[in-house]
Formats: sequence, C-alpha cells, structure tokens
Amino acid sequence: MSEPSEGSRPAVELSYEQARDELAEVVRRLEAGGLTLEDSLTLWERGEALAAACQVRLDGARERLARQAPDEEPGQS
Amino acid sequence: MNERSSPDAPWPVRTVARKIGEWIGKLGEVWVEGQLAQLSTRGNSCYLVLRDPAADISLAVTCRRDVLGEPVAEGARLIVRARPDFFLGRGTLSLRASEVRRVGIGELLARLQRLRQLLAAEGLLDPARKRALPFLPRGLGLVTGRASAAEHDVLTVSRGRWPGVRVRVLNCAVQGPNAAAEVIDAVRKLDRDADIDVIVIARGGGSMEDLLPFSDEALCRAVAACATPVVSAIGHEPDTPLIDLVADVRAATPTDAAKRVVPDVAEETQRLTQLRGRALRALTGRVDTEQRGLAGLRSRPALADPAVLVRLRRTDLHALSERAARSIAHRLDAAAADLDHASARVAALSPAATLSRGYAVVQHIDGHVVADAAEVRSGQRLLVRLAAGRLAVTAE
Repeated sequence: MSEPSEGSRPAVELSYEQARDELAEVVRRLEAGGLTLEDSLTLWERGEALAAACQVRLDGARERLARQAPDEEPGQS
Repeated sequence: MNERSSPDAPWPVRTVARKIGEWIGKLGEVWVEGQLAQLSTRGNSCYLVLRDPAADISLAVTCRRDVLGEPVAEGARLIVRARPDFFLGRGTLSLRASEVRRVGIGELLARLQRLRQLLAAEGLLDPARKRALPFLPRGLGLVTGRASAAEHDVLTVSRGRWPGVRVRVLNCAVQGPNAAAEVIDAVRKLDRDADIDVIVIARGGGSMEDLLPFSDEALCRAVAACATPVVSAIGHEPDTPLIDLVADVRAATPTDAAKRVVPDVAEETQRLTQLRGRALRALTGRVDTEQRGLAGLRSRPALADPAVLVRLRRTDLHALSERAARSIAHRLDAAAADLDHASARVAALSPAATLSRGYAVVQHIDGHVVADAAEVRSGQRLLVRLAAGRLAVTAE
C-alpha cells in the first residue's frame, strides 16, 4: 500500500472513527473526480486500507460482545 | 456508748441498726416517681415495688390501703410522697407512702413532648445523623418479644427474600416496667457484635402504655449511641414512639422493616440480568449501525468497483481518440481538398497543358526561362522542354 500523498498515518494506527471519517472523505474525493489517474489509484488503495481497518475493528467488537453473551449466565449468587 | 467503734469495743447489732435507722431518717420526706412493678395487699396494708423505668433499680413501698385508693395496674407510672422507713428487726428498708398519685395519660404525653424537644435540642433527631442501611446485611440483629408475631414476621419475610440471611434474635420484654431496660441491654449487645451490621427493634401493636417503654429516654439515648444502623418497627403505622425518631430508619411494621433491610435477591438478580441484556443489546445495535455505515461506504462505486476509474478513463480516452481521429480525418480531407485545389491551379498554371498542345519551353542551363532571343548567344546550350521529355540544343 503506497504512502498516500498527504503522508497521513497508516490506517491500522487510526482510531475507528478517524479511519471511518477519512474513508468517507476518500470516497467523496474519488466521486468528485478531477484527479490524475495515479492519484485516483493511490486514493483508491488508501480507501481499501481504511475500509479493511474499520472492518477489523467492528469484527473485534462483535467478537468481544459475543464473548459476554447474556446466555452465558453468571452463577446464581 | 462512746463515739467510735473499734475491734476492742465493737458496737452491738442493735446500736448499728439504730444508727443506720437515724441516718436513713435524715433523708426526710421525698416525692419519688417510678413504675409499679408489683402490688400485693394484705389486710389494711399495701406492699408495692416501685421501679425506676430507666434503670434496673427498685424500692419497696408500703402504705395503707386507703392511701392507694382503687387498684393500680402493673406498669403504671406513680408519683409517691414517702419517708424512708428502716425496719430495725430485720434491717430492711422501705418507703412509707403517705400519698400515691397516678401519672395520667395527658401528663405522660406532655412528658414525651418535653423529652422529644430535649432530644431534638441535642440534635439526636437530626436527619443528617441517619445512617444508610447496608444493601446486603451480613448479620441482622433482631430485638423483639419471645415468639411474638413481630419476630415471626421479620424472620419469615427476611428469609423469604434472601434465604442466606443470618439473623441473631434477642428476645426480651416488650412492655411493662422492665421493657426499656431489657431492650437497651439487647440493643447494646447487638451493637457490640461485629457480625451484626443492622439492628431491628420490632414490636406488634399495643396501647399507649404498652408502647411507652419505646419512648423511654434512656432507650432513645442508647439507640442514638449505636454504631450499627437501627431500624425501629414498633406498633402499627400511626404509632410513633420516640424511638422512631432516633432510629436510623422507621419502618411502619415488622414486615416493612424486613423488606427494607433485606433486598429481594431473586428480584435483584432478575434486575441485574435485565440490565446486562439491555447493555449488550445497546452495544450490539451500535456495532450493527456502524457495520451498515461501513458497508454503505464500501459499496459506493468509487470504492467497490475501481475498474470504473479505468473505465471512465478508457471511455474518455476512447472519446478523445475518436475526436482526434475525426479531426485528423477532417484535416486530411481539408488538406486533400487544398491539395486538389492547388494541384488544379498548378495544373492550370503549369505549362504542361500548353506543352501538350505542342508548345515548348526554352531554358538556360541554369533553368532560367529564355524570354528574349537577345539573351542568347550563338553556340549557347539551351534546354528545350517538350510535353514529353527535354532536348539539349545549341543556339546558332
């Protein structure tokens, strides 16, 4: 994944919210067009990396929730 | 009889008894108040035991039957005017009463009101002093009458709500002259017990007199001094003996007291499960919403189908190349047209047509066209251009 032009941090280091917000921005710029082919491709790769990072976070959250599922009832006190 | 007794000259018993009698007589006449603990009548004399409601101390009182008047109920508050009477024969002391008055209800209530104001003035009724009950008491201390309804209610209700509750019951008199002192003793014992972290004093309904011990000053002070939180459940809803005001929590009835002290564990567990379920659902909902948001972003063509970028470029390219081709074709046509036009003109201007009609063009060697015969010298080589081909000639 090439380093995006404005040198922002690798997607995995961003918080979930940061990654998701940047992803939205990437999509907006891609849809706005007016970019060189090279920039578009780089931007697209950045978008994919951000999306993957977000997905990892969501899967992690869901897995943690599943571990605390209510049906795993604590012993009666 | 010399003034001092000594081992060598001891006083006889009668002398000592007489001296004691003299000393006692010096007290003179007194008004004394107490609670009637016992009353027996023999012949014309009445024999009473007057007890201090706040201390485990009592005195024998004797009086003539007519002094006492109509019979007095045990536990009644009396005010007696009497003199100390030392019976030499057996060395016993009793008060000889000349007047016995009953303390009326009105007087009693007035007394309570005064005591209440006194306690309030000392800040003992101050809400700020009230301590909160422990949510789940390790040990519940219960002061109540033996095998009383109150005891039964508190035990069954608390065990029903939490089978694991540990109760230490101290039974004692809950009415009459000894009640206050016994309750005080029980409360102090439970207060000292480290395993007890809440004390309930419970008694069923009763008359004003029955509940009087629970407005006793010493009892109120004992409860106020307790380190352990105290719940008072005395009588029915409307009854409010002073102990209610001093206790940390006032319960309307023994059952109500049990409910306040012991949480319903089944209910608590159920509420806990509910809360955990709600928390989990809220969180799962949040994750779902985020997931949908992410899916939305990823499905956008710009991301989902990058080929669109290339395709867009390709169509642009295609359109451009088409235009380019068209414009070139156009220019070529134009150029071709110009060319035709030009060649037509060239053809028109060019001597070829003329030559083809038999004319010829004479040129010098250097290509200059000879226009004037004068320019040519004899023997000069010239070129003659015919419709077809050329001739090299020499001028004569």
